[in-house]
Amino acid sequence: MKKLLEFDGVHRAYERGLDVLHGVTFSLDAGEVVGLLGVNGAGKTTLIRIAMGMLAADRGGVRVFGMDPRERAVEVKRRIGYVSEDQILPPFLRVGEVIDIHRNLFPTWDEEMARDLAATFSLSPGARISRLSKGQARRVALVCAAAHRPELLLLDEPAGGLDPAARREFLETSIRLLNEAGTTILFSSHYMQDVERVAERVVMLHDGAVLIDRSLDDLRENHCVALVPESDGVTRERLLGIEGCLGVRERTDALHAVFALGPQRSAAAIASELRVSNANCRQVALEEMFIELVGGQS
Amino acid sequence: MLIVVDPQSGVPVYRQLMDQIRFHIASGLLGPGDELPSTRSLSSELGVNPMTISKAYSFLERDGVVERRPGRPLVVAELAPGEVREEKTEQLREALAPTVTVVRQLGVPRDEALAVFGELLANEEDTREER
Repeated sequence: MKKLLEFDGVHRAYERGLDVLHGVTFSLDAGEVVGLLGVNGAGKTTLIRIAMGMLAADRGGVRVFGMDPRERAVEVKRRIGYVSEDQILPPFLRVGEVIDIHRNLFPTWDEEMARDLAATFSLSPGARISRLSKGQARRVALVCAAAHRPELLLLDEPAGGLDPAARREFLETSIRLLNEAGTTILFSSHYMQDVERVAERVVMLHDGAVLIDRSLDDLRENHCVALVPESDGVTRERLLGIEGCLGVRERTDALHAVFALGPQRSAAAIASELRVSNANCRQVALEEMFIELVGGQS
Repeated sequence: MLIVVDPQSGVPVYRQLMDQIRFHIASGLLGPGDELPSTRSLSSELGVNPMTISKAYSFLERDGVVERRPGRPLVVAELAPGEVREEKTEQLREALAPTVTVVRQLGVPRDEALAVFGELLANEEDTREER
C-alpha cells in the first residue's frame, strides 16, 4: 500500500532538554482515517505542524506524499487540507474574499463543492471574518480546506469549542470527502465519540512517544479493563508483570489494569498469575480506555 | 432504516451494525429480497466511516445473511423456515447471556431466576391483551 504520510523517529524540543516528541514513528496508508489522541501537551499539535512543514523536526524524518514537506512546501501544501482549532483567518476580509484567495491558490479547486458546502453551512459571502462566531469561522476554514479535494486532510482539534450540531457537520463533511475523494485523514480530537465514529485506527501519544497504535476494532475487541479488588498479594507491580498488561491505575479499593487481551483471557491470566477470581474484566469505550491509560493516579 | 450507533458502548461499530441488521431480519422487519442502503448513504446518514459499513456488510455476506449482485443494491438473503427459527433462538441467546452473568453475580438460584423470567413474560402478555 502507498504510504501517504510517514513519521520516522521524529524528535522535537522547544527548549534544550525539554522534548515534546522523542522518537515518534507511524505512517498512514492512502485512504486511512487515523485519530490522534493524547492529553494536552502530548505533542499532537507539534506533530501535525511538522507534517504541514510549519515546524521542522530536530531529528527523524517526515515524508508527505513521499516528499519533504519543508523542501517542497508548495507542492505538498497544495495537496493537503488543514484546519486547526487556533487557526486565524484575516479578520478584516470578508468570507467570500477568503474563499477567493483559496480558490486561486489551489489548482484542484472544486467550485461546485465550495458552493455546496457554503450553502450547507449557511455562510454569507459578504460577512466580515471579524464578525463571525467561532463556529462560523471554523466552517469557513473547513470550506477552504475541503473544496480543493485534498488527498490528505490534517485536522488539529477541528471540533474544539464547537457546539454538537457544528461538530456533527464537521464529521459529515469529512465523511463526504472520504466517500467522494478517498481522502486520507489524520485528526486530533478530545471528543472520543467523534473518533469512534470516523477513525479506523487510533494513535495515542504519551510522554512524547506512541503508546498505542491499533485499529479501533482491535482495541475494542482485544483489549479490556480489569477491575481487580484490593486483596493480599495484589499489587501494581505484579499486575504489570502479567503478559499483555499495558498499565495499572490505583483507585480506591481496587486496581484498574488495561490488558491487550479480550475480557475472558484477561480474567484467566489474572486468575492463574495472582490467584484472584473476582476480577471484573470488560470491554470499554475509547474514552474510558484513554483515561485508564493516560489518566493520573489519583 | 432503523439503525442507531452508540459510540460509547464499547462494542465495535461494525458489530453494532451487524447485530441490528440480523435482529431486524429475525424479527421480520427486514424480509428476503429487501434492499439495504448503500455504503455511502448509510455512512453519511449515521456519520460513520464508510469502511466500517463495508466491513459489516461483507461479514453479513460471508455469513449468508445478505447477497451481493453485481451493480445492484445488497439484498437480504432467502432463509429456509428452519433457519429463521434458528436465527431467532440465536438472537435470544445473545440477548439473555448478560442476564446469566447477573443471576450468577447476585447468587439467585436457578429455579428462582426462571420463575422471574416466566413472570415477566406473563406480565408482558397480559398488558398486550389489555391493549
